[in-house]
Amino acid sequence: MTVIEVRGLVKRFGPATVVDGLGFAVGAGTVTGFLGPNGAGKTTTLRMLLGLVTPTSGQAVIWGKPYRDLGSRRRRVGAVLEASGFHPGRTVADHLRVRCAATGAARSRIGAVLAETGMGELAGRRAGGLSLGERQRLGLAGALLGEPEVLILDEPANGLDPAGVRWLRGFLRQLGEQGRTVLVSSHILAEVAQFADRAVVIDRGRLVSAGPVTELVKAARQAVTVRTPRAEALRAALASEGAAVRAVAPDRLEVTGLGTEEVATLAAALGIPVFEMTADTGSLEEAFLRLTATEGRPG
Amino acid sequence: MTAALRAELLKLRTTRLVAGMTGLAVALTALIGVLEAVTAGTGKGMAIPSLATAGGLRDNLASTGFALLVAALLGVVITSGEFRLKTATDTYLDQPGRSRVLAAKAIAAAAAGTASGTAAAATSTGIAVGFAASRGYPLALSDPAIARYAGGAVIGSALLAAAGAGAGSLIRQQTGAIIAVVAWGLVIELVVGATVTTVGRFLPYTAAAMLAGDTNGGGMPQVPHGVTALPYPAAIAVLAAIAVAVAVAAALTTVRHDVT
Repeated sequence: MTVIEVRGLVKRFGPATVVDGLGFAVGAGTVTGFLGPNGAGKTTTLRMLLGLVTPTSGQAVIWGKPYRDLGSRRRRVGAVLEASGFHPGRTVADHLRVRCAATGAARSRIGAVLAETGMGELAGRRAGGLSLGERQRLGLAGALLGEPEVLILDEPANGLDPAGVRWLRGFLRQLGEQGRTVLVSSHILAEVAQFADRAVVIDRGRLVSAGPVTELVKAARQAVTVRTPRAEALRAALASEGAAVRAVAPDRLEVTGLGTEEVATLAAALGIPVFEMTADTGSLEEAFLRLTATEGRPG
Repeated sequence: MTAALRAELLKLRTTRLVAGMTGLAVALTALIGVLEAVTAGTGKGMAIPSLATAGGLRDNLASTGFALLVAALLGVVITSGEFRLKTATDTYLDQPGRSRVLAAKAIAAAAAGTASGTAAAATSTGIAVGFAASRGYPLALSDPAIARYAGGAVIGSALLAAAGAGAGSLIRQQTGAIIAVVAWGLVIELVVGATVTTVGRFLPYTAAAMLAGDTNGGGMPQVPHGVTALPYPAAIAVLAAIAVAVAVAAALTTVRHDVT
């Protein structure tokens, strides 16, 4: 079942087209990474999805409806878009009390979400005295007040230290295990690979790729490293089979375009001894950089 | 609407904004009130008439003039602060009906303006009556007249705060909004009111100041020369209409803008 659907979404700010005919869907109970380089249009897309920015054309809906038309919306959808969107003079607990008053969430939830996000001891502290990581946690606590089925998070790992990133990873995994639908934008790609089931990759406002993270990784450049005493002979043979071959050491070749089985079969057929062979399975980082590599941008 | 209003009132109760602005309103009222009371009847500079006279006592009671301006600024900060502090995102996620949020903020601002106006009116009344009594003057104004001016300061503060909330939505950039409101109150109204005296009494700050007892004969800040006060209910109606008009203008324009 599709929960979030973006169809032909376009947003122009003056002459700049920030989102350009974007379309993707997010199914129920999945944790989806929403990836793209800075300026790709991720935040604008999420803001259109949540009714904060009006699309130039196209639609972004949740359960088939614009966000503002959803009944009990804040109990069904939780969102964190601003890591620093707190009044500095208001305490953590008071911030959540205000959110409860605005959404109708029960005040009894405050203690639960503070515990869930590890903020229990900071309830009386003013938001102005929180670290960026603590603010991120407070944002998540606010989003969870209504026990929402859907969570939309914009760069929640920004500003977190390694311990905070580790905590967030576990937290998002836990949300996924609870069966919630989570859409998380990020450019910390290695992290997304560790908690997301699916990934939507955009660049310059356009969809580049959408699908399971494992397929995305599979689509990444696959390299096979081979150690052989007859590197030159194997190199020539592999090249004639259409593989790209690079000598990384006198006895070591990096092969792309052919898998381990093809490389081993070819070496055996030619009687070339192979002492070692490893396959790099690729990473989301590599896939991402490859997918979004455009002129003037490294990739 | 009830949830939005409840949230806005809670926002005001959980920060020091209202207390701080009320303190400023009281301090300015006390400063002007005491200076006026001390120099009353001396004929020096901008001195008001003696507190033994109805005019002098009324001018001293109207030392809430700057407090009215502070109330308008309170309204401005309540709305424009959401954009300065980036809390508008959560506010509109919780309540996507933006006009409803603006209405709730205007009502909450009016409540905050009532609080600061009450404190300022109590201060000016205490100073005027206290100084008059300390000099052995019988009160030159009746109790209902004194209450009427104090009430004018309270109502004026409430409605100017509501109008300020609209102005803060109309001009989201907080510094710009504050400068615009101060310039409007202290410069533009004086110039327009002095130039077209028939229009002056319909201008918000002038109408509120005259509701609180200010005249063009004395007190600080002064209302434009030649402007006559509107009848009490008419002044309230004009102020309320201005607050609604500013809010509607904001609702039809900037409130609909993208929250980026």
